[in-house]
Amino acid sequence: MGFFFNKNKKSDQQLKEAYFTASQVELIRSRFKSNKTAMVAGWILTILILMGFFSEFLSPYQPTMAGRDKKYENGPPQIPKFWDENGFSFRPFIYGTKRERSIKTNFRWVVTVDREDRRYLRFFVDGWEYSYIDLEWDLPGEFFDVDVQALTFSTHLFGVDKGGIHLFGTDKSGKDIYSRTLLAIFTSLKCGVLGVFIAFVLALIIGGISGYYGGWLDSFLQMVTDAIRTVPQVPLFMALAAFLPQEWSAEAVFFVIATILGFIGWPTLARRIRTHVLSERSQDYILAAQLCGASSGHIIRRHLLPSFTSYIIIDLMITFPYMVRLETALSFIGLGLIDPVSSLGSLMQNVSKADVLLNYQWYFIPVLFFITFILAVVFVGDGLRDAADPNMIKKK
Amino acid sequence: MIKFLQFIMIRAVMSIVTLLIVSFIVFSMMELVPGNCAERYIAFKNTQGQNITIEDIQAEERRLGLDKPYLIRAFTWMGNVFFQGKFGDSCILRLNINHLLSDKIWLSLGMSIGALLLSYLLAVPIGIYSAVSRNPIANNTVRFISYLGLALPSFLFALMIMLFTTVYFGESMSGLFSKEYRDAAWSYAKFMDFLSRAWLPILILGWAATAFALQTVRALMLDEIDKLYVTAARARGIFGRNLLWRYPARHSLGPVINSIGFDLNRIFSELPVVALIMTLTEMGSLLIDALAFSNDQQLAGAILVILTATIVLINFITDIILALMDPRVRQGLLG
Repeated sequence: MGFFFNKNKKSDQQLKEAYFTASQVELIRSRFKSNKTAMVAGWILTILILMGFFSEFLSPYQPTMAGRDKKYENGPPQIPKFWDENGFSFRPFIYGTKRERSIKTNFRWVVTVDREDRRYLRFFVDGWEYSYIDLEWDLPGEFFDVDVQALTFSTHLFGVDKGGIHLFGTDKSGKDIYSRTLLAIFTSLKCGVLGVFIAFVLALIIGGISGYYGGWLDSFLQMVTDAIRTVPQVPLFMALAAFLPQEWSAEAVFFVIATILGFIGWPTLARRIRTHVLSERSQDYILAAQLCGASSGHIIRRHLLPSFTSYIIIDLMITFPYMVRLETALSFIGLGLIDPVSSLGSLMQNVSKADVLLNYQWYFIPVLFFITFILAVVFVGDGLRDAADPNMIKKK
Repeated sequence: MIKFLQFIMIRAVMSIVTLLIVSFIVFSMMELVPGNCAERYIAFKNTQGQNITIEDIQAEERRLGLDKPYLIRAFTWMGNVFFQGKFGDSCILRLNINHLLSDKIWLSLGMSIGALLLSYLLAVPIGIYSAVSRNPIANNTVRFISYLGLALPSFLFALMIMLFTTVYFGESMSGLFSKEYRDAAWSYAKFMDFLSRAWLPILILGWAATAFALQTVRALMLDEIDKLYVTAARARGIFGRNLLWRYPARHSLGPVINSIGFDLNRIFSELPVVALIMTLTEMGSLLIDALAFSNDQQLAGAILVILTATIVLINFITDIILALMDPRVRQGLLG
């Protein structure tokens, strides 16, 4: 018994030592891990991001017009089955469908399911080609044009022999909603990340200068920051989005939208960074560095930035869902990314009719993904914030 | 008293400076939109079958004062806005903006402030209750709702309600007035009709703000409730509602009042989207129209300035209320 006790005590001592010598990042990580909600949200978020990244591999059809299924428009979801009244099968199957239009159906296309016609699911099938590196820049001058395609694959996780399989159904032009949802998650993610990144760079420069130099420059920059913060975001975004010419390509629109998101989002971040810099600036170690003759640039890069990197990352994580939400809201009212482009907002635009609720409920599936996605990001952000805040240990 | 007036003066000057910066930014943005008013007017004449030349455009530019340098135009515009409250004409709609907006602004502002009031009326008591009660169900429900406020944006919320009412009650809740009152003058009956239809958009506008305010109130109360002065008060035999309202709630009220301006900002952000979904013809959808579909810079600029001015005004008022409420500040100022 004594032996065990001793061993326990020793490991306790070790734990204590580990606790006191742990770096900031390790502490945050261990506190984050003990927060169950945040961990679950973290896993869900990871899965969603992976699904987005491998969307081409996971989706059997192209999410653009090229991948539309002309024979299955507004088609309900097809869920693979293992058994039905005709017996059991190890290989999951779906039913074949027929589409007809006659005087009996009031001249509307009606899709009927043929339960005798089984179509078996196949895995790792060959389909449309996709590349992970696909650069096509049309720069001025023949010589500078970039057209690189690398890591091209054509294998997809699943598919069927004939006809199509649409897990989440199809929209009114026959595009596969499952494929579009996966791509949309990634598009919105990219848009948010780019927006947050631009906002971060702006905030770092403006907030950093403001906090480090202080004085009249600080007052002036704070005034401008506050002024911009008082302008309501969505109307401002709409005013900026008005510059977008209609004929621009989807990629160009995407970049401009992300840039505007960044330009709108920086003031709050800049304020936080200014506060961090301001409180760190008067610390002794900065004074020591100054007395040693270090330049401002060196102090900012080597001393100030590392002192609050973890907090900044968490701030970015908390800002992120707002960015995604803003993009979605704008796309939803038709000012951001519009239909042939798959973003969560443009997918949700399709649900804005009463007709959809009555007849095509599967249009709502992307909405569920959107809510899950935002909730996951929010919980992870909150978990990180709580983990980084040492005062939180006392409470609860 | 003199110190208090001084404080008000400083706050007022700061608010005006903020507004000047904002209106300068807005003016610069209006200038960035391709094409100016002269070209628009002339282009309109062109559609009427008149032939136009470069000279015509230049003459028109001179008439509108568009040939003057950028800064002079900016200051003229800002001067008109500030000292006379005139926003000029919209060159797409060819109407006076003040005339065009007058009614719609009051409706939008009224609805937004109604939403703000509603969200605080809901958030303050519920937030305090959830912070105080150790009931896990109540706590988790409140947490869930406040997270949902973020994840279920008001455009989705509005959409769901619209769809459900149309599908299951057969009656669309869109629009702000019923047919017979749409063009009628304001009267008690019209006001009641307005209320009977406006409660839904107000609720939806307040939805996100409520969720946020709920979180703020709860977090602040949780911070205060374990502090020593509360324990001391409890030891003196004060308990229940008396204790809550007199001690922790009063302390946490300050930051809550401070956040009113930002909540209004949030509501204004929701306004255009909700207005579009619910087909309300007030300021929000006018903004969408002005910006997205017709590039009407003048109108858009006017709306942005008005919205921001409202927020600045609210911030100014809350600053003063905050100063009056905090005994330390109050005694410092009033002597």
